Amino acid sequence: MAILLEGKEIRKVYQTGEIEVEVLKGLNFQIMTGEFIVILGQSGSGKTTLLNIVGGMSPPTSGELYYQDQPLHELDDKGLTLYRRNAVGFVFQHYNLMPNLTAAENVKLAAEIAEDPLPVEEVLHDVGLAAWADHFPSQLSGGQQQRVAIARAIVKNPALLLCDEPTGALDIETGIQVLKALLKLNQEYQKTIILITHNSEISKMAHRVFYLKDGRLDRIQVNEHPLPPEELQW
Amino acid sequence: MVMLRRKLFREIKSNRGVYLACIIVIMIGLITYTSYSIIIENLERAQDHFYAETQFADGFIKLNGYPESQVAKLASLAGIDKVEGRIVKDARLWEEDAESSRYLRLISMNFSQQPEVNRVQLFSGQWPEDDKREILVDPKFMAANSLALGDTLTLILEGKRSSFNVVGTAQSPEFIYAMRTAQELYPDPSTFGIAYIPQRSLKALAKESGQVNDIVFTLEPEARFEDVKLLLERSLKPYGVQSIFPRGDQTSHAVLESELSSLRSMAQTLPLVFLAVAAIILYTMLRRLIEQQRMNIGNLKAFGFTNREIILHYLSYPLLIGGIGGILGGLAGIALTFPLMTIYEEFFALPGMASSFSWKYLFLGLALSLSFSLLSGLKSSLDILRLNPADAMRPAAPASAGKTPFENLTWLWSRLSSQGQMGVRNAFRSPMRSIFTVVGMAVIFSLMTVSWSMDNMIDKLTTFQFRQIQTYDVKISLNRPGPANSLQNTLAHEPGITHLEPLLEVPVTLRNQWHEKEVIVLGLNHGSTLYNVLNKEGEQVPIPQDGVLLSERLANLLQVQVGDAIQVESPLQRQFHAEKKGQLVVRGVIPQYVGLNAFMEIGALADFLQQGEIATSVLIQMDGQAIPALKSKYRDASQVGNIESVQESADKIEEMMASYGFTVYFMALIAGFAGFALIYNSSIISLSERQRELASLRVLGLTSKEVLKVITSEQWLLTLFGVILGIPLSYGLLAAMGQSMSTDLYSIPTEIPLVALLGAVGGTALSVWIAQNRTYVKIKAMSFVEILATKE
Repeated sequence: MAILLEGKEIRKVYQTGEIEVEVLKGLNFQIMTGEFIVILGQSGSGKTTLLNIVGGMSPPTSGELYYQDQPLHELDDKGLTLYRRNAVGFVFQHYNLMPNLTAAENVKLAAEIAEDPLPVEEVLHDVGLAAWADHFPSQLSGGQQQRVAIARAIVKNPALLLCDEPTGALDIETGIQVLKALLKLNQEYQKTIILITHNSEISKMAHRVFYLKDGRLDRIQVNEHPLPPEELQW
Repeated sequence: MVMLRRKLFREIKSNRGVYLACIIVIMIGLITYTSYSIIIENLERAQDHFYAETQFADGFIKLNGYPESQVAKLASLAGIDKVEGRIVKDARLWEEDAESSRYLRLISMNFSQQPEVNRVQLFSGQWPEDDKREILVDPKFMAANSLALGDTLTLILEGKRSSFNVVGTAQSPEFIYAMRTAQELYPDPSTFGIAYIPQRSLKALAKESGQVNDIVFTLEPEARFEDVKLLLERSLKPYGVQSIFPRGDQTSHAVLESELSSLRSMAQTLPLVFLAVAAIILYTMLRRLIEQQRMNIGNLKAFGFTNREIILHYLSYPLLIGGIGGILGGLAGIALTFPLMTIYEEFFALPGMASSFSWKYLFLGLALSLSFSLLSGLKSSLDILRLNPADAMRPAAPASAGKTPFENLTWLWSRLSSQGQMGVRNAFRSPMRSIFTVVGMAVIFSLMTVSWSMDNMIDKLTTFQFRQIQTYDVKISLNRPGPANSLQNTLAHEPGITHLEPLLEVPVTLRNQWHEKEVIVLGLNHGSTLYNVLNKEGEQVPIPQDGVLLSERLANLLQVQVGDAIQVESPLQRQFHAEKKGQLVVRGVIPQYVGLNAFMEIGALADFLQQGEIATSVLIQMDGQAIPALKSKYRDASQVGNIESVQESADKIEEMMASYGFTVYFMALIAGFAGFALIYNSSIISLSERQRELASLRVLGLTSKEVLKVITSEQWLLTLFGVILGIPLSYGLLAAMGQSMSTDLYSIPTEIPLVALLGAVGGTALSVWIAQNRTYVKIKAMSFVEILATKE
């Protein structure tokens, strides 16, 4: 398998007035194409910061980050925007759907800027929402809204899907529905998925689990036999 | 970006009230801009064209008599280009058993060859033949009196009747705004018109053989009127010059120019005021929208939308609103010019005034509206640039919460309800928005104040003038200045007359250093009760036994104060004093709204002129019933020039001014609408911004009305500041209007009556109250359980 992402000595320091806070303290990692990675860590461990850097949302303070040999740390704002546009799909804990666009329209919104988008109907079908295409977010349940958000992230046909606590706001049943949708994308379309969570149960479905602790990559655990979402419990 | 466009339309639709209000405010601005601009352009074009075509004079001379044969020689004076001499006489139409008096001003013309100055344009019919009794009449008089070509008019001139055949209608540049006297304020074509008559016919009738009493001339391109005037004064001295004045002082031209200049100042200020209010609304609305959609923006950035795409999306809100308002306002403004032009045609007899569709102003108006909208959106949209996508995904840090300055006023603060305290704090928490609202309300308040003050202005120009100042009922003007004793004695025995006073009106040139003004000095009885000179409070100002009283505007023009001496020169001054110019001391400065005059005691004025006891008119107080009899008895008397009944003029003018009342309240109404839009917008913003806070209050058990108070107390506070700021602004606005709109015919009073201030306070409060009522409806409809259940 080819290396999709490679981080070398990634550091991130936040400056708040006089005080410097080092959130990431030199991370080294490699992520392969088609992997399902779960990043586990407590609040404040630097999970979201890492995800933002990997997603091109904010640059690292120092260190090198490569996406298919392309140095992301050297890109300017415009280059990062293009990277996000073409390579990355985001799924957030709060679905952040446009409230006055329907499910299908929210997905189309993302499709419009993609170079090679997937058909909107097909993506909605894949996340199990074909029947809900014309509903506004307020008419959908939390799980359905999150699946719209997933559809919106993958419609651009990105190689990399970044999910920030996608089940954080959901109950177990709807959470499992969402995870099933993600797994399907990973298995059927070979999408690389990085999912961050503080829920260790979810890590059981990953190929590899990154344990993040106090800004450092504490350890990496390889799951020889990832569990299907149905078998998870929390 | 079809989806973003769809998002835009849906968002606008869900807040359509505010956007619609904003579009209407922009429309009002654009309507004023396009309609005024087009009218100005049309009037100016028609004026330039007509003046050029008819060779409108640059200078005007009125004198007792000047040999016709000498007129051409005046052209040899340095600076004079072309010159024309005429006989000008007012003649009354003879009517069998008719009460009303209709007058025609007869202008002699040589029809065999068009004059070189002040030509006339023939509208219909044909030119009169020189040796026939044929005349041309101005079309407005014809229409107002239902006359047709071929009709015969009988005129009374020098006490004799003569009949003329109307062979055509024609218009001269001198009488575009045709008033019999400057005091009339507006033309009344049913009682006064202009007629052009062959020189020979008028000469025979007016017994002015070989003499002209009116000379008009044009200047050479580089010549200055003042230099030419000095030369003319010297050459014409023996011929009884009454006045030499430039085009700028010619009544018809001055009225047209003053209308144009007030239109220009309206076209420059009104659109800006309304567009500025719209810009404030758009700015606050967009700022709020962007703050509220911070997470959405972060999301769009995360997807890979470029900054440009996102900024363009948010700019499309103001651009769409500005575009719709601009096009609708522009079209409405253009449409409005058609009826407005017909109103102008009523007053101004200016050929070629037609309105037409103007792409130019539609485009300019749209550009103006779009630039204002763009400007209002730019600042908030550019904030998007600074937003880092990762930061945008997090809710904004809460605004700092400290004590507001208002809380230091503990006495007042402790008396506010908690909703009031929340409202006050909120006003101080978003200072920029509050400042904009205050400025907006101040502008709206001052617009209303000025509208209401117009009522005062109209009153000062009409009722006050006719009921307090000119308290006489009838004024009989003499043909020439002379002793009035015999006429007064005769009149004193007429039935119904209770009081008589002589009046001496003398044309003078007043000078202070290089400041100079030609006006009429009114010589009044010391204790005059028929023409009252009043101060600002409406109290009688006694006419001093020596020296002169000046109107405020005149004192300003001459830059003099009470106690200063001014040079006074008059054609009525006796010859042997010609070289010794007189000096008079300014004894007082008084307000004068109609006309521009100086005032003296009649005896002192006669002494100053080295004349005996003379007068130019007799003012009469009498029983209204007896007026018609008096008129018919005296109007053709040889000594009498004109009999004017104040009541008649007053009625006509008041009736006419009543229609202006509508305009005044219309202004107040649109200002009120702008106020409504501003406050309604602020309410909607407060509602969306603080819906959780307000919903919590509802859950706590507060009624919708009590919740509304949180928002209204903030708004009342801002409105209060707006009104306080608006008072000096109103004075400034009115002073600027007074400066730009006052002419020799009338002065705009610059004081604001209390009722105008109170009216504006009431109007402003009403617009705020209505906006709050709309908000109340929204609060009542607010589903507070749902709001609290949704995530922030």
